[in-house]
Amino acid sequence: MSDPQDESGRNADAEGVKADAPLGIDPKLLEILVCPLTKATLEYDAGKQELISKQARLAYPIRDGIPIMLPEEARQLPD
Amino acid sequence: MSGDTTHFGYQDIPLEEKQGRVDDVFRSVARRYDIMNDLMSAGLHRPWKDAMATALSPSRTRPFKHLDVAGGTGDVAFRILDRGGPQTHVTVLDINGDMLDVGRERVPARHAGQVDFVEANAEDLPFDDKSFDGYTIAFGIRNVPRMERALAEAFRVLRPGGRFLCLEFSKVDMPGLDKVYDLYSFNVIPQMGKMVTGDAESYRYLVESIRRFPSPGLFGQMIEEAGFKRVTWKPMTGGIVCLHSGWKI
Repeated sequence: MSDPQDESGRNADAEGVKADAPLGIDPKLLEILVCPLTKATLEYDAGKQELISKQARLAYPIRDGIPIMLPEEARQLPD
Repeated sequence: MSGDTTHFGYQDIPLEEKQGRVDDVFRSVARRYDIMNDLMSAGLHRPWKDAMATALSPSRTRPFKHLDVAGGTGDVAFRILDRGGPQTHVTVLDINGDMLDVGRERVPARHAGQVDFVEANAEDLPFDDKSFDGYTIAFGIRNVPRMERALAEAFRVLRPGGRFLCLEFSKVDMPGLDKVYDLYSFNVIPQMGKMVTGDAESYRYLVESIRRFPSPGLFGQMIEEAGFKRVTWKPMTGGIVCLHSGWKI
């Protein structure tokens, strides 16, 4: 029923050779990260590897452990 | 905002175009960026960055949280970690993912766990107010379209008592050296860039952008306008580069 292949499938491929690379995001970094537009705190979606800015309606992707905090790279959330 | 222009090297271009153009430059040279720095500066970028890390002198015994902006390849961050202690932590920020990838691959084993990487814009920092004890930017601020916004953001994310340091090219003020420097910049560097990275245009941009950068006095004034106190600057190597310093008090 569920579709496991979209769950960080890209990560597994990309990180296959770099076993020591961090898969998630540093919790201490999470503490200080805010939305670059609204400066409000973010919600961390560990499954999707996204940081959600509710006010801005944006989901910032985390790629191989590096948060990409650029609005132009973020996924627009439905209202 | 439309109608506002900024400079891209010697061309005037719409403000909103500059970031994309700068991104192209760095994407094209990321892998060989540090090699080019060595060649172009005859290795001098190393002592310049060493001087900045030494000026910062993070505590060896207490926690020190640092932000290095436009530092993708990590060479400033690793210098700071070498001078700090086990509780020194550096966040490397760059707008260019290719530069960050290079940096992450190069984290020395001795500093694993003391550094993290964030892709973001210096004009819109994704950090809470008063998050850091130090902020550095080396050869990065002149590529930011709205420098005053980047300076205001630096001020915002620093804690009271926090230190701002900026290393940037400057105006050569030594008679004789200025002529040699001009010749070298406009003729040798783009050729060298072409040989090493296959991209002369990117290096022509870098040279031109150096010449458009405000004088140390003017830039110092901009740092003060952002709110920093005890603003000072120190020319190095005949004025080829300048280390700017300010404190958030």
